[in-house]
Amino acid sequence: MPFAARAAGASAAKNACVPLIVTRDLRKVFRNAKRFPGALGALRGLFSPVYEDRVAVAGLSMEIERGEFIGYIGPNGAGKSTTIKMLTGILVPSAGEVEVAGIVPHRKRRENARNIGVVFGQRTQLYWDLPLVDSFELLRAIYGIPQDRYRRSLDAFIELLEMGDFLRTPVRQLSLGQRMRGDFAAAMLHEPPILYLDEPTIGLDVVAKEAIRTFVARVNREQGTTIILTTHDLADVERLCRRIVLIDHGRAIFDGPIERIKNEYGRERTLVVRFTETTSAPTIPGARLESVEGMTARFVFDRATQRVDRLVREVSDRYSVEDIAIEEPELEGIIRHIYTQGYAGEERSA
Amino acid sequence: MLAAYVQYWKINLLTIAEYRADFFMWFAFTIVYHGTALAALAVTMLRFPSMNGWSLREMFFLYALWMTAHELHNALFFNVVSVPEYIREGRFDRFFVRPFDTLFQVLTVPSRTFPDGFILGLVTLAIATHVAGIHVTPFTVLTIAAVLCGGAGIDLGISLFVAALSFWLIRVDTLRWIVMSLEQDFTRYPISIYTRGVRIVLAYVLPFAFMNYFPATYFLGKHDAAFGLSPEVGLLTPLIGLLWTALSYAFWNLGLRHYQGTGS
Ligand SMILES: Nc1ncnc2c1ncn2[C@@H]1O[C@H](COP(=O)(O)OP(=O)(O)OP(=O)(O)O)[C@@H](O)[C@H]1O
Ligand SMILES: [Mg+2]
Repeated sequence: MPFAARAAGASAAKNACVPLIVTRDLRKVFRNAKRFPGALGALRGLFSPVYEDRVAVAGLSMEIERGEFIGYIGPNGAGKSTTIKMLTGILVPSAGEVEVAGIVPHRKRRENARNIGVVFGQRTQLYWDLPLVDSFELLRAIYGIPQDRYRRSLDAFIELLEMGDFLRTPVRQLSLGQRMRGDFAAAMLHEPPILYLDEPTIGLDVVAKEAIRTFVARVNREQGTTIILTTHDLADVERLCRRIVLIDHGRAIFDGPIERIKNEYGRERTLVVRFTETTSAPTIPGARLESVEGMTARFVFDRATQRVDRLVREVSDRYSVEDIAIEEPELEGIIRHIYTQGYAGEERSA
Repeated sequence: MLAAYVQYWKINLLTIAEYRADFFMWFAFTIVYHGTALAALAVTMLRFPSMNGWSLREMFFLYALWMTAHELHNALFFNVVSVPEYIREGRFDRFFVRPFDTLFQVLTVPSRTFPDGFILGLVTLAIATHVAGIHVTPFTVLTIAAVLCGGAGIDLGISLFVAALSFWLIRVDTLRWIVMSLEQDFTRYPISIYTRGVRIVLAYVLPFAFMNYFPATYFLGKHDAAFGLSPEVGLLTPLIGLLWTALSYAFWNLGLRHYQGTGS
């Protein structure tokens, strides 16, 4: 299955140098009429509506190239799902521009749909009462997938996602992990060049999570599928994505390779020292004591201003030390820091 | 699209085979439902041998005409009633990410539908036509078929309109319930028995009268006592069905742009 065969239609091939996904000042404001109860209330709401506005996406500009694997992260209510819904053509943007493979999704919804696969972890796209195979058959008819290609991809999915045991069970009887695998297969049966995954590993156990991670990593690597992944599990992101887009209050506050965000925030390192005896309130010049637990103390220092070798010398001169380790901040810690303290990347890198 | 439609019916039939008990219960219910309505009609007509110039036999035909059109609608378009629920629960999202018309996709959500009610309707209608002494020519068969399609179209147009309203309003159940009861109550008797206001509603606003009353006057060669219109007005039914469906579909498409989904 060469990549060219699965490329996103003629318009995309024409603009091969244009990014696959482009948004410019994309905005979405949810406008909800305040509801009044009952039929008469509904009529009243129709004729003299009272609106409440909520800005979900507040001017988002980004460009995504073919074959990228983006971690799209941000706190609850940041506007991630809303963005994905605009990219998929579910929602019409309130302002700004969006183009996916040369198509404006909400204008040419059906054309766009051929290029994309979508998995919403929160909500299945499968038919509740049908066994997985029936849903797949229906999708085959919907996308007009030729019988031989259908068989080939389905067999591959059954093997990769280990779905053999529950293919004929009605979806409503499947466990969450089984259902999610079914959802993945359903989203990819037509071999879309773009895949949107909105919290696809939510509520899965470690084994199922790993199966799905391996699967998407492979799809991205071998088929060049462009993937946008939304998740609160930063281990997913760390494992799979090269680039992250971090949004908060509907605005992108960071967009770049994972290494960069780590570098900017990774100025802080932790020196973990294990003493040979209980030591209360140890000190090292140039480092801040974070905690002491039994014989282990944790010091935080700024990598840019303090030299590690000096700190190590300093601590071993002063105390009797059994073991020393230096911890790099994990993505999780960095992101937690940004969610609580706000992002200050601009000032820092300036 | 055709392949998908065929697949949809294939799956429907397969699931019906699986849920046989459920299917037979529905079928029994359909028979009881229409049987009761017809029995009530017969009892009424024992007391009033003629209702505004309509005999029991003619009223039987009137009912059969509505029943068959309505059951045709149920067989093909029943899923439309689930739309408000899909929208409210955010399950409507999926229809946007597949390369077909959203309405087509709604109509092809596997749902254990079977045209059993419609088949029952056709049998009833055949009997009623015979009982009413209508002289059947090939042309009659064609016009009846057209009227049935038009009637199903009126039903679809109205239910689609109510469904599309739910792109703006969370709850349309009350409205749907009102419309459904209007349809059930006011299609049983010739509309000429009602007050002028009701007649106008049934002819011009929610044109249920075009599902059976007007076409029945045409087939039975009766005088329209409601508006004094010529019986040929009954032949407008397909046109009105088409018009309602088209307008509601346009309204539906407007609603799609308004779709907001749910927050989670
Ligand atoms: N259908 C809707 N109607 C009204 N407001 C909405 C709707 N959908 C989302 N919102 C609001 O828009 C904002 C962004 O929501 P969104 O679902 O995009 O967040 P998210 O980043 O996906 O969050 P989470 O991580 O919790 O899934 C929230 O404040 C939410 O309340
Ligand atoms: Mg979300």
